[in-house]
This record gives sequence, structure tokens and C-alpha cells, in this order.
Amino acid sequence: MIILLALALYAATGIAIAIAFLVFGVTRVLATPVPVTLGARIMLFPGAAALWPYVLIRWLKSYQ
Amino acid sequence: MWKLHRRRKGLDHECRLWRRAVESGEAVYDGFLLASVTLYISAYLTVVYWLDPPNDQLSAIDLRIRAFGSCAFFMLTTILSIGPLARLDRRFLPLLYNRRHFGVLTFFVVLLHASFMVEWYAVQDALPSLYDELTKVSDYGKFIGFPFKALGLVALLILFLMAATSHDYWLVFLTPPVWKGLHMALYVAYGLVVMHVALGVMQYDHNPFIPAMLASGLAWVTLLHLVAGWRERAGDRASACGSDGWLAVGPPLSIPDKGARIVAAQGGERIAVFRDGTQIGALSNLCAHQNGPIGEGRIIDGCVTCPWHGYQYRLQDGCAPPPFTEKLVTYRARIANGVVEVDPRPLPPGTSAAMRYE
Repeated sequence: MIILLALALYAATGIAIAIAFLVFGVTRVLATPVPVTLGARIMLFPGAAALWPYVLIRWLKSYQ
Repeated sequence: MWKLHRRRKGLDHECRLWRRAVESGEAVYDGFLLASVTLYISAYLTVVYWLDPPNDQLSAIDLRIRAFGSCAFFMLTTILSIGPLARLDRRFLPLLYNRRHFGVLTFFVVLLHASFMVEWYAVQDALPSLYDELTKVSDYGKFIGFPFKALGLVALLILFLMAATSHDYWLVFLTPPVWKGLHMALYVAYGLVVMHVALGVMQYDHNPFIPAMLASGLAWVTLLHLVAGWRERAGDRASACGSDGWLAVGPPLSIPDKGARIVAAQGGERIAVFRDGTQIGALSNLCAHQNGPIGEGRIIDGCVTCPWHGYQYRLQDGCAPPPFTEKLVTYRARIANGVVEVDPRPLPPGTSAAMRYE
């Protein structure tokens, strides 16, 4: 049961961070910022949620 | 602009025609894929229902599990065949263009297979026993009796990660080597699926079609890779070089206009030597996008164009035209005694190195 709880927590955190990243950070992390359309952001959502730890690290680094 | 798909904008009419052909081909490709999957699932359910009608709800769910599971196996086998087939015969190249769409669709078919499996437990109020089956540590030490569903779930996770990162944005975000490494996990997923079937349904269903399907799929994929690899070895052999180490390509006119000849340095590194009229340039043969064979492409509107996805690079310096930022390694070229020669020592990506000859 603890495994299921951990997975649920990972997924919930990923969803929240992915939404924030796709709204505020998706262009910041690129070496050459390029506009990203709404359709592309929707397509990027699953990947951002699945890879949220790395996405978060890169996003925070972009502010340094 | 990152749209649903990042596309190259060519100024040349021929390039625009090429792009329109590729993009209209996408719709045909996707339509054909969806139709094939729908046809397979429908035919499977219809034929098996006719031969051996399920007599209860569980049997009906089991039928759907097998339909989607077998469909997914055939799809994975086909996807893994596309790469080597395209290397063996250029007529298979169009299958490579939208292979990602194929992969994403395969993920959804596998997801449906897994969801029917969960449904099979749910209708019996037996979901806790599925959880127990997956978490019983002692079973992981067995061969026969290994929790084969766990193998399937790991394969599903791999396919999810691949589908979720199939957009070109992730190629840039993760960097091409990391992205490519992630997507090579498809081979791991395929192996897990083979074991999932071998340790699962094959243990209690002795229909000879199942091992035949598994063995022939695995043998086909393996054979294709071996044959393609053997053919590629010939291209990896180092080309003749002079006493100063420069590689001989051939007379300038032996390089097709708007095309290339590919030579190999020591270690198998391939160099694409293009000719555009009287201009000769040498670039890395690997496209910065997904390592496509640049040398098998053409020069369109002054840009070397990768045959896989249309990524373009200026012949002069290996740089993608603005606003794109990819750069290829370039090489020095010269003409000595009427023969084009290339210095196999790479220059930094984006270094201007192309030459003109009279």
C-alpha cells in the first residue's frame, strides 16, 4: 500500500509542477527561448509530469 | 515557434513542395495506422468470438486482453523493423518519418490492454489480489511463477515515458544523446514484452500460435538488425588516405551535384562530402536531430537537407539557417591532383570550411 501511496504522491506532485512549468517556465529553460503554442504545451504535459524532478531542477537553475 | 510539430520552413519552392508532401503523407500514415489497428482488433474479436464464443463476462474481458496484447506485440515488432528496413532499402524511408506517431499509438494500445487486465480483476472484486501478486517478493526469485504482469507494467512505463517525450521539445530539453538513450529503451520494453508473454499466457494456454508468433517476431527483428548491421559495417571501413592522413573522396564531378559521397575516417566516423555546383563542403554524416544520415540527403536552397525529417544545414559552415541553432561538425576539404580530399580531423561545429574549385 505504501508503494501505491508513493506513486500517487509522485503523480500529484508531477501534475502540479507540470502545470506551473508549462504556464511559466517552458520557454525559460531553453538556451534560445522560443514561443510555445497552447497545443504544444498540452502535448508536453505528460512528459513534464513524469519527469518533474528534473524539470524542476532545470527550471530553478534557469533563474540563477 | 514550438507548435504541435516543429517544422522547417524552406524558402525554395522545391523545399515547400517537399514539405507539403511530407505533411500530407503524415495524414495518410496516421490514417493507415489507425485503420490497421481498428481492422486487426475488430477481426480478432470477430473471428475468435465466432470460433469460441466467450461464455461469461470474464472470458469476454480475457478476449479483449488478448486482442489488444497481440496487436501491441505486432506493432512493437513492426516499429523495431522500420529502422533496419530503412537502412537496407530507401523505399522504407517514409515509414521512418512518422515512427513517433506509431510509437504513441502503440502506447495507447498497450494501455488499453493493461486496463482490460485491471478490469478482469475489478469485476471479481479481486484488485487486492492483483496488488498481492505484484508485490509478493518471494515470487520474483522464480522463473516459472515469476510475476509476469510486473514485466508488462515495466514495459508499459517505458512506453509511456517514450510517448510522453516524443515531442521535439524534449529532444532539446533532454539533449539529443539523453533523448536517444531514453528512446533506445524500446528494445528493453520489447524484451520485457516477450518475457511477459512467455512467462504469462504461454504457461497456461498451449495454443502453438502463441510461441510461433513470439519466436518469429523476435527472430525477424534480430535478423533484420544483424543484416542491416552487417551492411553498415562496409561503410564504416576507413577510406583510403594519403601520407598526410587526408582521405581521398574522388574527382569533384564524382560527387553528384546537390548530393554527397560518404567517406569514413579511422574509427568509422563518417563524413558527408557535398557538392553544390563548384562549392564543396564536408560535414558530419550525423544529423543533429536524430543522427539521420545527412549524406543520403540533398542540397535544397543551398542547405544540406536530412532525408529523415528535413533538418537543414548550410553547406558553408554546417549551421542550421536562422532561427534554428543546430550546428554540425565540419571538415577541411582540398583538391590535390584533381582529387577531392578531406582532413578527417573535425573542426568545431559551425566552423566555415567549404571551398570552391575552378
